Amino acid sequence: MTMSESWGTLKSFEGRKFEALDKEFTQEVSALLGGQDLTACFQCAKCSAGCPVSDKVNVQVHQLMRMLLFGLKEVLDTDMVWLCTTCYTCQERCPQGIDITDIIFGLKNMAFKKRITPPGYIAARKSLYDVGRLYEATEWERDDLGLDPVPALDTTQTRKMLDKTGLMKLEEGE
Amino acid sequence: MAQSYEVFLGCAIPSRFNNYESSMRAVAKELGIELIDFEGASCCGTVVLKSIDETSWLSMSGRNIALAESRGHQIVTPCNGCFGSLKDVYHVLHENESQRKRVNDILKPLGLKYTGASKVRHFVEVLYDVREQIAEKITHPLDGLKIAYHPGCHILRPSEVAGFDDPELPHKIDELLELTGAKSVPWGLKLRCCGSPLLIASEKTALQILKEKMISAHEAGANCVVTNCPACHTQFDIQALGLKDDSGQSLELPALFVTQVLGAAMGIDGTKLGVELNRVSLDPIRGLLGL
Repeated sequence: MTMSESWGTLKSFEGRKFEALDKEFTQEVSALLGGQDLTACFQCAKCSAGCPVSDKVNVQVHQLMRMLLFGLKEVLDTDMVWLCTTCYTCQERCPQGIDITDIIFGLKNMAFKKRITPPGYIAARKSLYDVGRLYEATEWERDDLGLDPVPALDTTQTRKMLDKTGLMKLEEGE
Repeated sequence: MAQSYEVFLGCAIPSRFNNYESSMRAVAKELGIELIDFEGASCCGTVVLKSIDETSWLSMSGRNIALAESRGHQIVTPCNGCFGSLKDVYHVLHENESQRKRVNDILKPLGLKYTGASKVRHFVEVLYDVREQIAEKITHPLDGLKIAYHPGCHILRPSEVAGFDDPELPHKIDELLELTGAKSVPWGLKLRCCGSPLLIASEKTALQILKEKMISAHEAGANCVVTNCPACHTQFDIQALGLKDDSGQSLELPALFVTQVLGAAMGIDGTKLGVELNRVSLDPIRGLLGL
């Protein structure tokens, strides 16, 4: 990881001092899609036991959940937020029925607004807005296989919609 | 009565895996499943847009669902990413009245509305429905093919949304694959994510996960990996090219789509199955596939 990365900057809890617990932050996260049962977490760590990146991150998913209960906004700086593969194993197995993966999606939304994001997501947003797709069709392959062209998309329709949701103006202070 | 669906291709299949679409269409034709073009489809938004802004993601997939609805059609997709995204949005809009109202307000100027009339299915789910018909069509048994079947995440989890198979002990597509005489081998990391969604954030981490998966597939004695998702396939058929373990041993395994395996067993011509476009060499199993 290079110094210029904006994400995953919280490498360790060693010697780390945190701000006072922020109840409002916990409430804010509880209001996210899937956040309703957040405070039921009792730290069994079953989420981390099945997580494909537990051995690859600085802060594991059960620790991320603890940070949320403690109201620590610094959670947005953990690598767990953007290294979640979205495999939903933790959510499937949580004995308290917490929608853990969905909560992490909400944290990604929060981090993105604060410009804490891998740059690939900024490029992907532009592509989704400009052409309504992430990738373009490979025409020669389709010709060779006798496949019809991919049905056309009128991007004025998708752009109209994404203007309304403010996709290109998510960053705080803009 | 023949089944009929609008087919939601997504972005990754027309870009990287036209062999998946071609083999899907060939198999569908054999089985009398009608696939109608999905006019006006955008990207489903997938986990990428859900990560950036959930309202935009709900609108993007909500629009796609509403389009099929406006034409009175059901939706089928061969992509786990599109399936997960469309079904997740369907689920949110179905359960959450305030989100439904919000998204319908956004869709109104486009003359569209989500009501939930168009349901979303995965193409392999449809294939499982007609498994008896498939069994009757097997003319070229694939004895000796040892498949490491990788279901992928979003076709299984969260099971409350996917609603397709047992999330911890899935068996449906294994059953389908074994109709061909092939063996779906048990492997330790079968249900583990392929790592593909991390290619955008950290290619290094994505490759570490892939390496672990490939070692597991080799240890299980598989001679190929089979998927039903272009995102997973990107890992197994593109990122795995030249991948080696720590001792320098190649970790490549021929990577096929479920539809290519079934198609080969049904005697469909290799050209139609698009096997020339598979990147990892199929030579080690070409004889077994009869291609």
